[in-house]
Amino acid sequence: MALDSEPPTTDQRASSAALTDRTLAVWEIVSVASSIVIAEWMLAAAAGFSKAIIAVPVGLAVLLILLSHRARGETLRDIGFRFDNFLRALYLLAAPVFIFAVVCLIIGWRLGSSFDFFRWHPKRYLVLQLALGFVWALVQQCVLQGFINRRAMLVAGRGWRSVLVVAAVFGLLHLPNVWITIITLLAGAIWAAVYQRAPNLFALALSHSVMTWFIVSTLPPWALHHLRVGVGYFF
Amino acid sequence: MNLFSRGTLVQLLIGKSVAEALLVTAVAAGFYLTTTNLNLRGWLDQADTETVSGWAVDDGNAANRVDVQLFIDDQFIEQRSANDFRPDVHQAKRAEDDWHGFVFKTPALPPGEHEARVYAVYRGASATRRTLQIIGKPLHFRINAAPGQ
Repeated sequence: MALDSEPPTTDQRASSAALTDRTLAVWEIVSVASSIVIAEWMLAAAAGFSKAIIAVPVGLAVLLILLSHRARGETLRDIGFRFDNFLRALYLLAAPVFIFAVVCLIIGWRLGSSFDFFRWHPKRYLVLQLALGFVWALVQQCVLQGFINRRAMLVAGRGWRSVLVVAAVFGLLHLPNVWITIITLLAGAIWAAVYQRAPNLFALALSHSVMTWFIVSTLPPWALHHLRVGVGYFF
Repeated sequence: MNLFSRGTLVQLLIGKSVAEALLVTAVAAGFYLTTTNLNLRGWLDQADTETVSGWAVDDGNAANRVDVQLFIDDQFIEQRSANDFRPDVHQAKRAEDDWHGFVFKTPALPPGEHEARVYAVYRGASATRRTLQIIGKPLHFRINAAPGQ
């Protein structure tokens, strides 16, 4: 009886390893996204527990991200902590951010919103709020682009497929806030596309914080619902 | 990625999945235990055009009177304490004294089929959260149209 007992060829082994790498990349994306979902949805509602318990899934996700970067040999520069392409990334972001700002103004005007560029945490100095917004945006972009986008590219290659994966993950993590989900879906696609051309997290975080400032300042507060997502949206 | 790194990453992914599954399970169990009074006993005996009545006892604190809320057709009607005279509950050894009954007066309702539910209010250890536990099963009753309607 004939059996396929011949050892795999080099090409077959390479193909198998590549497949395993892709599977692993999908698993990594799902794992980090699930940690965020747990933190957003389950633990915020946990009765009888301190909210500090959120640190468990967040800590596990951070550990996974760090180890994954190390295992894949990704340096800080690879991830996007660099300045050599900062201006190029800003250049690529300029037009989308400008269009986004104009669209926000038009939608806000059509919905009868009053424009107020100081209402994003009015008790804080605007410069401080923008700085805090930048730091939080940098954290989000680090995970979204530096981790998820890079693994999405391993799975689907560079291009619109991986851009869609990143946008979908970013958008869905902002449910059930429908307005923010739509905005993050679009913005996530723009940032993912720019990152694939010029991987620079500082430029992305800058545009992220400026876009958030513009959203809060122009769109009606009832639509944004204090930018709350997950179970916190309902409280 | 070398084989050692991949193996470590897979181990971490499996460990993370298990840890998160255990955490979610613990939170779900904790949520159930802190929002549910496992010692609550009671029954909704009767619901008709005149009254809605039954009894409720907290076995964990038998001297305490359970607060109960009446809902008809999912609309809140009234809250009161289950402290009415019900010697039969005591005689059946369901309570340590005779005072664990409740009787609500049925409010004016339009003709037709209606559903009465009575819930026990549970405060638990947390002052920030109250939950409702249904007592017995919902009861249906009918209000007939007045003659001439």
